[in-house]
Amino acid sequence: MGTISVEHLFRDYGNGKGVFDVTFHVQQGEVFGFLGPNGAGKTTTIRHLMGFLRAKSGSCTINGLDCWKERDKIQLKLGYIPGEISFFDDMTGTEFLRFLSHYRGLGKESRERELVERFQFDPKGKIKKMSKGMKQKLGIVAAFIHDPEIIILDEPTSGLDPLMQSCFVNLVAEEKKKGKTILMSSHMFEEVERTCDHIGIIREGKIVAVDAVEALRKRHIRSYTVMLESEALAKAFARDLGGTQSGITVTVTAKQSMEEIFMHYYGGGKDV
Amino acid sequence: MFSWTLYQRGMKGSLRMLLIFAMVISLYVSVIISMYDPQLMATLDGFAEAMPELMAAVGMKSGATSLLGFMISYLYGFILLIFPMVFSILCGNSLIAKYVDRGSMVTLLAAPVKRCTVAFTQLLVLISGILLLVLYSTVLEGICAQRAFPGELNGKELLMLNGGLLCLHLFIGGICFLASCVCSDTKYSIGFGAGIPALMYVLQMLANVGGNADKVKYLTFFTLFNPEGIAAKQGDAVCGVTVLFIGAVILYMLGIIVFSRKDLSI
Repeated sequence: MGTISVEHLFRDYGNGKGVFDVTFHVQQGEVFGFLGPNGAGKTTTIRHLMGFLRAKSGSCTINGLDCWKERDKIQLKLGYIPGEISFFDDMTGTEFLRFLSHYRGLGKESRERELVERFQFDPKGKIKKMSKGMKQKLGIVAAFIHDPEIIILDEPTSGLDPLMQSCFVNLVAEEKKKGKTILMSSHMFEEVERTCDHIGIIREGKIVAVDAVEALRKRHIRSYTVMLESEALAKAFARDLGGTQSGITVTVTAKQSMEEIFMHYYGGGKDV
Repeated sequence: MFSWTLYQRGMKGSLRMLLIFAMVISLYVSVIISMYDPQLMATLDGFAEAMPELMAAVGMKSGATSLLGFMISYLYGFILLIFPMVFSILCGNSLIAKYVDRGSMVTLLAAPVKRCTVAFTQLLVLISGILLLVLYSTVLEGICAQRAFPGELNGKELLMLNGGLLCLHLFIGGICFLASCVCSDTKYSIGFGAGIPALMYVLQMLANVGGNADKVKYLTFFTLFNPEGIAAKQGDAVCGVTVLFIGAVILYMLGIIVFSRKDLSI
């Protein structure tokens, strides 16, 4: 059992859409990357965790609480960035954050100011007029405002520029250090590689791999040993290609990037 | 069970709509009450006799002798039924279905607030709006009548009548609220929330025409609201609005239950 547990979750939307027997666990203090192509079932799984959808069969629990029946208790300690951000268009960012603080019943402990400064976010404008990136920043501030213990992020960096993306990655790393449990769905391979401990890959509603980032990487390492004519040549070869040289043999390891690993699971059709 | 922050937001949102409807009601109520004139009554009765179907369809019957009777004929058949009804339709839709349709319901539910609290709070916004409109109409009618025709209007009868009107509008609000809770798409929420009351009103118009269409009155809940009967404290009229009130409470509870249990793809 983990802090976040999804066990044998089923939901069939027909036409092969839905989630089928999804099982994974996220331990306390861990960052879990949830990866998959569009329409693979990431958001459906997250909606179950948020208590928006009732599990048809199987179960979802957070901190041992049922995600459907005890959703309001779970929400007390949970922060969430939805995949599609839609706030109250009639409000300004400032008004919205104030509304949220009151609505959640927060007092002085709000992290609003710190977060607004960190993301150089100006919340004064109308939400309606904000760009996608601005709304995303507002979503990040809104999700972290109550200093949650468990954080669920559905493609959190979409719309952010690279600078802000790395700012966000730093925030996630800091939260992880504080012992927070984080589930993050993403398309950004690099971001997942940098921040996550474990990765679950979902495809067509089924989990195809759950493993530690390092283990996934190791599984896909290929090494080649080459013999060269002279030691000098071997040395130069090793230097150029970053291999290890011993005598006239050089071993070169071709590390697949995370991206290639994911393509291996995502793409290639059914014969993979 | 109740979120003050959300309630404030809801009231702020419906304020503009309330003001507009209050203005329209003010206009009609003041003009119609000032038109009360026993001599004019004869003219209007003439109209009613000349084209009884048309006048009856909008609830205007001949033979209203007192000021209250006159008001019942010319205000409680159309103006005070339709305008608060339109408010209920618009407000009811915007309180639940619009949030779900646009996805901003996520913000309300991704917080330690129960779904039934969200639904109940939004319901109170709707009820408050209806209450304010009926209350405003009552005060306005009282003032207009007192200024133009001092002593002509029986206060108690007016209160009874508007109490009944309130029950009717609470019931219509219940239909709109339930539609808003059931439908995740504003298209359907508006469709049912506006369609059912409008259809019922059309049936009521048909029934008013009389003749063979008279039986239609058993198909519409507007029949349960009988203004003349309520003003006269008739038992079956009071019974009718009590049924409306109980129906309203049932619709509210159904709405909250449905919303608490349904799957939301937000």
